[in-house]
Amino acid sequence: MRNQFQRNKSLSPTGSLFLDRRLFLGCGATGLGSIALASMLGDQSLLQRVRGNGPPIRPEIDPSKPYASRSPHFAPKAKRILLIFVSGAISHVDTFDYKPELVKNHDKPMPDSSGLITFQGEQGNLIEPRWKFRPRGESGKMTSDLLPRIGELADDICFIHSMTAKSNTHGPAENQMATGFTLDGFPSIGAWVSYALGSECQDLPAFVAIPDPRGIPQIGARQWSSGFLPAAFQGTPFNSDRPIPNLVPPAEIPREKDIATREFLRRLNQFQIDRNPQDEALAARIASYELAAKMQLAAASLNDLSDETDETLALYGADDTKNTNKARFAKNCILARRLLERDVRFVQLFNGSYAMGEGVGNWDGHKVIEQQYAIHGPILDQPVAGLVTDLKRRGLLDDTLIAFVTEFGRMPTFQKGASGRDHNPSGFTVWLAGAGVKRGYSYGATDPFGYKAIENVATIYDLHATILHLLGLNHEQLSFYHNGIERRLTDVHGHVLSELLS
Amino acid sequence: MSPVRNRMLSAILFLVLAHSGLMTAAVQAVAGEDGPIRFDELVRPLFEKHCMECHGPSKQISGLRLDIRESPLRGGDFGEPAIVPGKSGESPLYTYIKEQDHANAMPPRKDGRRPLNDAEVEILRRWIDEGAVWGDASATVDLGKLDHWSFQPLQRTFEADSIDGFLTKKRTEAGLAAAPLAEPHQIARRLYFNLHGLPPTPSQVEEFTKDWKEDPDRAVAIAVDRLLAAPQYGERWARHWLDVVRFAESDGFEMNHPRPSAWHYRDYVIESWNEDEPFDAFIRSQIAGDRFGVDRATGFLVGGPWDRVKSPDPVLTANQRADELHDMVSVTGTAFLGLTIGCARCHSHKFDPISQVDYYRVKACLSGVQHGERELKPADHAERETQAIALRKELGIIDANLQQLHPIASLERVGTASPPRGARAAVSHRENVDRFRPIAARYLRFEISATSGGEPCIDELEIVSSANANVARDAKVTSSGDFPNNPFHRLNHINDGLYGNSHSWISNSAGKGQLDFDLGMPIEIQRVHWSRDRTPEPQYADRVITEYSISVSLDGENWTTVANHSDRLPRNAAAGDVPNSNSGLTDEEIVKATEWRGRKKSIEQELQKLVGYPRAYVGMMGKPESVARFSRGDPTQPREAVAPGSVSALGGFELGLDSSDQDRRVALAEWIAAPDNPLTARVLVNRLWHYHFGVGIVDTPSDFGAGGGRPSHPELLDWLAVRLIENRWSIKSIQRLICNSQAYRQASLGLPEGLIARGNQVDSSNRLLWHFPARRLEAEPLRDTILAMSGKLSLQAGGPGFDLFEPNSNYVRVYESKTKFGDGDFRRMVYQNKPRVELDQLFGAFDCPDAGQIQPRRNVSTTPLQALNLLNSQFILDQSKWFAERLRREGGSTSRDQVRAAFLTAFSRPPEAIEWEVSDAFIQSQGLDEFCRAIFNTNEFIMVY
Repeated sequence: MRNQFQRNKSLSPTGSLFLDRRLFLGCGATGLGSIALASMLGDQSLLQRVRGNGPPIRPEIDPSKPYASRSPHFAPKAKRILLIFVSGAISHVDTFDYKPELVKNHDKPMPDSSGLITFQGEQGNLIEPRWKFRPRGESGKMTSDLLPRIGELADDICFIHSMTAKSNTHGPAENQMATGFTLDGFPSIGAWVSYALGSECQDLPAFVAIPDPRGIPQIGARQWSSGFLPAAFQGTPFNSDRPIPNLVPPAEIPREKDIATREFLRRLNQFQIDRNPQDEALAARIASYELAAKMQLAAASLNDLSDETDETLALYGADDTKNTNKARFAKNCILARRLLERDVRFVQLFNGSYAMGEGVGNWDGHKVIEQQYAIHGPILDQPVAGLVTDLKRRGLLDDTLIAFVTEFGRMPTFQKGASGRDHNPSGFTVWLAGAGVKRGYSYGATDPFGYKAIENVATIYDLHATILHLLGLNHEQLSFYHNGIERRLTDVHGHVLSELLS
Repeated sequence: MSPVRNRMLSAILFLVLAHSGLMTAAVQAVAGEDGPIRFDELVRPLFEKHCMECHGPSKQISGLRLDIRESPLRGGDFGEPAIVPGKSGESPLYTYIKEQDHANAMPPRKDGRRPLNDAEVEILRRWIDEGAVWGDASATVDLGKLDHWSFQPLQRTFEADSIDGFLTKKRTEAGLAAAPLAEPHQIARRLYFNLHGLPPTPSQVEEFTKDWKEDPDRAVAIAVDRLLAAPQYGERWARHWLDVVRFAESDGFEMNHPRPSAWHYRDYVIESWNEDEPFDAFIRSQIAGDRFGVDRATGFLVGGPWDRVKSPDPVLTANQRADELHDMVSVTGTAFLGLTIGCARCHSHKFDPISQVDYYRVKACLSGVQHGERELKPADHAERETQAIALRKELGIIDANLQQLHPIASLERVGTASPPRGARAAVSHRENVDRFRPIAARYLRFEISATSGGEPCIDELEIVSSANANVARDAKVTSSGDFPNNPFHRLNHINDGLYGNSHSWISNSAGKGQLDFDLGMPIEIQRVHWSRDRTPEPQYADRVITEYSISVSLDGENWTTVANHSDRLPRNAAAGDVPNSNSGLTDEEIVKATEWRGRKKSIEQELQKLVGYPRAYVGMMGKPESVARFSRGDPTQPREAVAPGSVSALGGFELGLDSSDQDRRVALAEWIAAPDNPLTARVLVNRLWHYHFGVGIVDTPSDFGAGGGRPSHPELLDWLAVRLIENRWSIKSIQRLICNSQAYRQASLGLPEGLIARGNQVDSSNRLLWHFPARRLEAEPLRDTILAMSGKLSLQAGGPGFDLFEPNSNYVRVYESKTKFGDGDFRRMVYQNKPRVELDQLFGAFDCPDAGQIQPRRNVSTTPLQALNLLNSQFILDQSKWFAERLRREGGSTSRDQVRAAFLTAFSRPPEAIEWEVSDAFIQSQGLDEFCRAIFNTNEFIMVY
């Protein structure tokens, strides 16, 4: 039996030879163009038909290795990216955007704002930050006591104070930050990046999303959706509490049995190859099962923090027994580092969950911002500061880009009759750190009260263009044909914010 | 005069003119003293000389081209006309050319370009002022805009008269032979999956093979007819259409609430395809079904996302509405016409003859449509309404009488019997009534001490006097505190006579609040009516007051409690099981109340039968909003009003600004469904081809514009389109042609080496169909097929769907994939309650569209997560066990028999000797369950060859 099988195998043009990418991409004389390849690249040959800003550059995707590392358009500064999404719209005027005029004009009406209606309605007076600002680091950057540890890293951070968003409601605005479009259904930035670049890591997904322990963000899985890109490029969501779904079989199947079944499966597929050596779709599927097996091993160890030192756990605050949400978020931060260490291309880390309702589990502080942020600040501050510090001391910050974003900012005024701030897409702060960006730098500015961006006004398109640029991708040439258009992450907009590149 | 000669003449003329200094005279000499400037002789050469390099056929900077009349009249990308006939002073084209110090002076001063000389400028001025009349030659050029293949009328004479005739011709030209015939079991499998999305049973394969051996043509014809006639056909093909139209059963965006009545549209599509509704009628129904007695079909218009988060911010509100209508305009264009009309929202279309104004013309056709539910009315509904009038009148009288017979509130806590005797109904988000013995009061206090969650909300509170008047309307109201700063929620809404969330009061404290009514003078009162959302179809059931107390006073100091929650049933008690409470009524009143309630119930039943139409998420049709062109697509920059109409370059219609919503939609539908519309039939037959052969004759099924693909077989496409129209738009008639073709019977594997070598060389993407393309099952047929294997598949058709997600009632819906399933979940996946932008954990990984955008062509990717899901999910393990049970039950007693049965069921073929041997050995050591688990993971199971 076994001998016959081996003999068959040795006689058939299969195995590793079969998986050789030349067979896929070279359209060899013996193979049919793989359907997976044909469909994955879909109508991407259409590039010839479409005029644009330079022709699209298509990633060469081998369907048997969708996560294989692919060349960027030019030499990148960053090899991988950590995107920290702070859900619910964190207030820039209470954290990173220091506005002395706001303090001076505390409890006075904002000039020229009479009749102003924002998302929830009318505005009350200007209200000074609820936390004191102090100079941090050697740069003396003023940041608030709400996030003191992140503030202490100011010398490593490149703040963008003039960010603007297109929508002042969470759904469309989160969509825009995640996908470039306010409408539903577009690929997330992580999907774009893994489509373009694949991954250096072959036994984990190229794009991992780490939801907050309290729940998923407001627009849920759209944050890591592949939209109309192939499903291979959608983010895989898991965190320190919830591992990759279906990673291992249920306990009722012992390991030996599982191995035997997979070996049997391999042989059934092998018989089919022997009969039909032309069937290249099969090769891609065999490869996907091999990758799945590797992923089982690699992912299983990800959440086992027993090899982390006490000092590391303490650095992140993962040992905080009093604040369990903080400790759980800290474990997610450690997971993020472990993924980056293993060269996962795109890690998206979420702070804040929308399922719990307005302001309760996230930064949407409409009513009682001071009480709400007093809860959220400590959960966010030490773990993220620990993560940045840890990445830096391990040398990972040299070729890892960190982007800290939120969907929009908040008003410098309080809402009429409330003790919180309404949505403000006209000016807010995001920050970058790590590979390729200036350190201890502040770009752009809002007006004296922090209401509207007035200096170097930046858009989410610009931010996305800049992130892609740092990863070695031209945002105008990274496109995918869908429904009549070469779709881009940046739509038809976006300029690289070259001033903040190091 | 030939254009070339014409141009030469003009050039010479201008040389002369430029140097003569006799400009006016020269112009007059050419034009004639009184005669108009002739476009072809003077203007067109001038455009060609100075402008067309950048604004002509090959390049259209700013979207402006001067070889087509419509272009400057409509304007370029920014929608402002470049030429206003009769008014050179208002024509930017003239201004830019004349005023050389203008910021937009033309031609641009680079690459050696020179400004127009005075004579040329004068020619332009006169030509524009004389009305900018274009000559005959320009009318011909005008068609150049429409030169694109898909805008040409359907070809009517053909060089072949069968699908294979056209295919063979092209294949032969490329030096390609056809592939050999596939095995009969492969063809059977192909037909079943392609037409039903389900595998054939072993006996169906056997029967087909037997027929095939006698007469292949007949075998296929019989099978195709039978498959097209079965209800599973509509379930399979409706799913394709639902991809094309981005249909899902939730709102999308932030809150993503489900739309529990949206399935009516899904059922309509399934039934329409099963009944072979003519495609032109299918179009009319979906755009204007309310006119044609097919109400549920308009679910098409509102099948897209809708942002439930509303705000007082007018800009946000305008943007939301613009996005809603944009979705409808876009999907109407792509689904029926293969035209990306949506691309012209901000500026005229880059590639296709769709101006920005055209976008707003189509938008105006749909501007009366709002998201939401509507009654599905039968054809005789007017008659029914007439019959209902008398019943409603009687009901009104009974209701008024019953108002006097509400139970009287008791302040005592009710007993523990279930349901407690004498208890009044639980509080509801709808109307609650507290009746008490008439009492004189000047002040009434409503104290709230608990809610179902959050700050309490009341949309209206009525105080009914003994004279049956609502005396709260004139009362002065104060509260313990109001929800801050929200125009929807204000204290004066409590007695404004308006119902609903947007006219409500919310307290400023969670779980509590107090309202004080000063009636101005003592009045004898008998009831208080209050509610959270008393609209006919309440949208809000949160913030409901669960504990409260109503007290009254004459002097504002001494209070008497008249009602509270203590004798009410607990909230969530099943309302249907609670008998009417007669608490506090006299025996005589009880008799009356019982009688009236009985009569009321029977009238309500009659009314329900007569006019109780189901409500479905198929859009609310109303007065059309006026539509203006938005400069750069920005709702804050409205420009001129736009009347409803078609894409003007493609002919069609224009209606008045005052036309009705339904007339607009009917006109739009008729224009699309007209047999002389060059796109509609082509787009449909191409979609059919795409789903039969994996790639369309045009490989961009929803984009037939200049940015889309070119047809691989243009003649065949037109031949099919003509056949469709001639066959009264019968979709099945085209599918019969396709499935009965020889091309459809070709092998996908086992091809001769020579054919592969030649094919890969000249047509590696197989557009010429030199073999049948093998395909992976999509998510839905994959799940359906696994269920068919295990014997668990339920073929229950239609009606409300089943859930693949755990129930959730969060404000922002959370979609958590189910991992445990019951029999009700084993229906075909097309019956899933499909949320938008949320994919099932297991099958979502198989490139299942999420309905955030249209998906006219699915991706096929192969990922390790697919492998993990098929190997390790509880779903697969359960189904493996059931498959194994079925094999034991039906497949025979020995494992060898079971292997054979498994192969026949899963692969439609018997095992080969080596497979049989290996499988048998595996079952001996690991068991039949594990064998089945492996079968579900094989390549052959998931592929259709």
